[in-house]
Amino acid sequence: MNAEDGDQASRTAIGISFGNSYSSIAYTVDEKAEVIANEEGDRQIPSILSYVSGEEFQGTQAKAQIIRNPRNTIAYFRDFLGKSFKEIDPTPCHASAHPVEIDGGKSVGFTVQETEEGEKSTLSVSEVTTRHLRRLRQSASDYLGKDVVATVITIPSDFSDSQKSALTAAAKAAGLDVLQFIPEPISSLLAHDAKQQLSESSSGAPKDKTVVVADLGGTRSDISVVASRGGIYSTLATVHDYELGGSSLDQVLIEYAAKEFMKKNKNATDPKSNARSLAKLTIEAENVKKALSIGQTAAFSIESLSDGIDFSLTVNRTRFELLANKVVASFGRLIQSAVQKAGLDVLDIDTVLLAGGSSHIPKLSSSMQSIFPESTAVVAPAASASAVNPSELVSRGAAIQASLISEFEHSDIEGSTEAVVTVTPHLQKALGLASGKDGEQFSLIINADTPVPVRRTAQVSVADGGDVLLRIAEGEREIKVTKEEKPQTNGAKGEDDSDDDSDDEPEEVREKVWKAGKVLAEAGIKGVKKGGKVEIQINVNTDLSVTVVAREVGGKGGVRGELEATKA
Amino acid sequence: MAAAAIQLKTALPSLPDGWSAEKDFKPMGSLSQPTSRAIEPVGPHFLAHARRKRHKRTFSEDER
Ligand SMILES: Nc1ncnc2c1ncn2[C@@H]1O[C@H](COP(=O)(O)OP(=O)(O)OP(=O)(O)O)[C@@H](O)[C@H]1O
Ligand SMILES: [Mg+2]
Repeated sequence: MNAEDGDQASRTAIGISFGNSYSSIAYTVDEKAEVIANEEGDRQIPSILSYVSGEEFQGTQAKAQIIRNPRNTIAYFRDFLGKSFKEIDPTPCHASAHPVEIDGGKSVGFTVQETEEGEKSTLSVSEVTTRHLRRLRQSASDYLGKDVVATVITIPSDFSDSQKSALTAAAKAAGLDVLQFIPEPISSLLAHDAKQQLSESSSGAPKDKTVVVADLGGTRSDISVVASRGGIYSTLATVHDYELGGSSLDQVLIEYAAKEFMKKNKNATDPKSNARSLAKLTIEAENVKKALSIGQTAAFSIESLSDGIDFSLTVNRTRFELLANKVVASFGRLIQSAVQKAGLDVLDIDTVLLAGGSSHIPKLSSSMQSIFPESTAVVAPAASASAVNPSELVSRGAAIQASLISEFEHSDIEGSTEAVVTVTPHLQKALGLASGKDGEQFSLIINADTPVPVRRTAQVSVADGGDVLLRIAEGEREIKVTKEEKPQTNGAKGEDDSDDDSDDEPEEVREKVWKAGKVLAEAGIKGVKKGGKVEIQINVNTDLSVTVVAREVGGKGGVRGELEATKA
Repeated sequence: MAAAAIQLKTALPSLPDGWSAEKDFKPMGSLSQPTSRAIEPVGPHFLAHARRKRHKRTFSEDER
């Protein structure tokens, strides 16, 4: 991509996160991404359209219509785009307009009373998407005072080509030129890294790290394991669960509240058996759940829930967490399965970035902290004060990408996203220095899964000085498991018995250790002064040849050598 | 924009007696077969990568 060779007038481009449950729009000012509130003041805009007496409502207002006017309210439609009727799971739409077959089953639509009088109309999912995007575009244009014409839209990492082309067309019809689609988890990671960079005010690339991005949404959860190397992201594995999300937690609260209601009102009609009562309960359950992410207690308060009886119920966080236990465990298993699919161990994960609305839930972040070792940073509001609002990560990343590429020509963007540019050889093994008596120890310089070309520089202190040997080698990561018998502190100095895990089970200690593998080269650095430092730079070139430069820091000369390219 | 040097905590062995190599560098092998993966075309560092690839520039040429 190259701005110089395009003469694209500066267009206003925003980032859009378009979820099944919520959408959000963001833009950047002075390199800082910000989420835009719509006219109603919402930054999380329900992806819902509703038709009431010939008028179209969107967002929170439309969501309220699920109670009063469910059949003319269209919700949870994003994943139907570009799919045939047979391919979709209509379950999330049980309480709102039901999807119907159109084009002989090739696409999906919704039949609603769109106009005040006359025939009902059947709107294709594409048309519904266009209307929803048009309103998002309008909200952004109003807020920015400029006509928004271009966007970067985020999509799940498993969106198919036909889903993408349907979304491109729907956006175009809404007056939005899609500059690029980017995967939701990558967008979240970009937003997180950008925030880190700003707060550390460093201009270099972020530190190499292996990250799990867990996007815990409303109707689905998507996990990606990403190698982040010099700020370049490579996806190592993804897993998806199309049934697990925040609504699974709403469900738990609905069951509980309905049971409590029936306990108090033995002869009343079960609110779950009536569509309208259930809709009221569902909306209130979500409110209670959200309130419990901040407060210790929250209350259901519903007028005329069933048989005209009002309902109120206080729920504390502990109760909710108990009820949610099984669902929370499912999130944990899903995330662990992603790590496994990437061929990694939890000890390999440097950061768990929790994204998506459900990541606000404190229990979910504490459960991640218990699954991952202490060395893993869990990024979520309940775990770190500096975490970006997880509901905003996705759209913020899209806004950052939009600002990076808004000046480019389409052909330039396409040229840079083609496989010839993106498909890249990655190191299979880590690279570093072998040391120790038998050269068995290994110090990491470049991790596995790093794309080439890559250059890294490392320094080692040489306390005694003299002539030293640098052994450049590949490294293998091993997981060492030791059973640690509890040290018998009884009767000892009695200093430190704060640790009162007093069961006799030997504790299993798992740790990550590096072992040196194949040696690639040796370099001799002579006459290093006492307390000196040796610097080694490894360059892996595009053709997989390696250039090594080593010298004493501040010394003159140095050693330079080449390794031949790997033969295919 | 060169990244800071990585500080390694290890004791380097002394050069063994009789060790010698042309220009003090002894090549002994090549990298293991790489894995082919797509990098994500997203973010400022990808853009720099794409630019290098497009102009066939190395890191140091890129910095000039
Ligand atoms: N503060 C909060 N505490 C708990 N849950 C929350 C909070 N804020 C939002 N949620 C939940 O997050 C979910 C929505 O997540 P998100 O905004 O990421 O939606 P989405 O990407 O559109 O979801 P999907 O496509 O999976 O349906 C909802 O279940 C919502 O109730
Ligand atoms: Mg989502």
